[in-house]
Amino acid sequence: MTTGKVLYEVKNVSKNYGSVQALTGVSLKLHAGEVIGLVGDNGAGKSTLVKVLSGAHQPSEGTVELDGEVRQWDSPHDALVAGVETLYQDSGLAPHLSVSSNVFLGREKFSKGLLGKLGFLAQKDMDRIAHENLEKVGIAVPQSNRSVSQLSGGQRQAVAIGRAVSWASKVIILDEPTNHLGARQAGEVLAVIQQAKKRGLGVIFISHTLPHVLQVTDRIVVLRLGKIVADAPTSTFDAESLLGTITGLIEK
Amino acid sequence: MVAFFTWRNPVFFSNAVFGNILADWSPVVLIAVGEFFVIVSGGIDLSVGSTIAISGVVSAFSMRALTANHVGQNLTLFLGLLTCVGIGILVGAINAFLITKARVVPFIATLTTMGAGAGMAIVLTGGSQIGDGPAKAISLSVPDFGPLSRPGIVIVFIVLILWVIMGKNRFGRYTYAIGSNSFAARAAGINVNRHLTKVYILSSVLAGCAGFYYYLLLSVGAPTSGQGGELQAIAAVVIGGTALAGGTGKLSGTVLGALILTTVTSGLIMINVAANWKQVVVAILIAAAVIIQEFRGTGGPGPIKRLLSRSSK
Repeated sequence: MTTGKVLYEVKNVSKNYGSVQALTGVSLKLHAGEVIGLVGDNGAGKSTLVKVLSGAHQPSEGTVELDGEVRQWDSPHDALVAGVETLYQDSGLAPHLSVSSNVFLGREKFSKGLLGKLGFLAQKDMDRIAHENLEKVGIAVPQSNRSVSQLSGGQRQAVAIGRAVSWASKVIILDEPTNHLGARQAGEVLAVIQQAKKRGLGVIFISHTLPHVLQVTDRIVVLRLGKIVADAPTSTFDAESLLGTITGLIEK
Repeated sequence: MVAFFTWRNPVFFSNAVFGNILADWSPVVLIAVGEFFVIVSGGIDLSVGSTIAISGVVSAFSMRALTANHVGQNLTLFLGLLTCVGIGILVGAINAFLITKARVVPFIATLTTMGAGAGMAIVLTGGSQIGDGPAKAISLSVPDFGPLSRPGIVIVFIVLILWVIMGKNRFGRYTYAIGSNSFAARAAGINVNRHLTKVYILSSVLAGCAGFYYYLLLSVGAPTSGQGGELQAIAAVVIGGTALAGGTGKLSGTVLGALILTTVTSGLIMINVAANWKQVVVAILIAAAVIIQEFRGTGGPGPIKRLLSRSSK
């Protein structure tokens, strides 16, 4: 399934926090239109790798390349501007703000003319476009001017993913997006991931729910103790062998 | 409320009394609106009362010196206002530095500037009032637009502008977003520390303006002006229905909260209730506001629905 060009790549990345070695010599390639599953036990280094990929942390060693160019993210915002969207576990939305305010947070549309230059917002435009963009990626939210705290857990997650997918121009990193979701809602999330793939985005899907990983990904990368211990097409895994690789019972 | 006080004392319903209430309200609404921005952003500012005192006093010193050197009254007053604003920027910058750079929680950071400001005001003046400023000052605080004075009109304009900014401008949007979920705000590319710096400076500058207002009202800089102002400001915000947890609230509520607070204070005096009861009444108002908020919830099901869902479980 690695038909597209290499979109996002980490080369030989290590990361240590003081004396704790969280990642050791990790290399990973993500192609356009590809969904990678990133799995591993707690403490395997998934979160650290996500932070390096999303620009929250800088690697101690090694490089990050986007479209073949070495990039250094000084903040998640740098990565965001370059087209790398990250959806964090549970905490990506401001609950008191409306759906559209969340979709446009940090990227507000301004009124025309002088008022816009003074930072005045074109709220109606944002409400409408947010609704359209969410619909485009397969998410139906009743009203985009409703506050996020009024939505169900599944709807919130859908909005968060919809926001990431509708803004991402290159890569989306989804950290545990199906956590706490019911079967039907999780199914919707997986469908959105398929949509993103069809649009030629590269998706990195981090999850503990192995059936979801097996269902939606093209390739699975297994981390254990800060090292990549397996990187193979999803078709070569089944639930049992995947679990074995994660825990270290099976050496691949 | 107005009806109640008028019933108890018909004199209450008069231009003079409304003028008094609005004269009390003007500085309170200024600091309350500043406090509103801070609280919505998820913080608290305890230093607004002391900022009134220190800015009023420093500005009184400078206006006394200018007057002694025969500088024109208008220029003197203008420079006095600039001094107040300058002190406000300074206090706000110190608060912001402590909060965003030194990572001190807002409560403690502004507690220290509160103490330092109040102390400095006493030290600089030796506890006495600083007068001998421009004679014109006192005449400015006389109501001449209905019940409002000229500074009162300016304050109403400031509040209106801030109301529009809170609801329609990016500045307000970011303030809500940071108070609602600062992690999400940062992840969305908002420079949270820079925004919080602006918010704390805004609050202190408004307190500085309130300090100048008190100077006009008394035509002296008193080190005790604004004492307890921080609590009045927080009370107005809470009575106005804003949650102390941040992320939510309406500025119009705070404006109304400040009006309720000052109306009750004047009203109780008018109907001959001992002044000490004021605090008790304000306490009841705060409790009532918080209880109503708790019942209304933050966008969740209302109290009746919640009761129903509890019984069905």
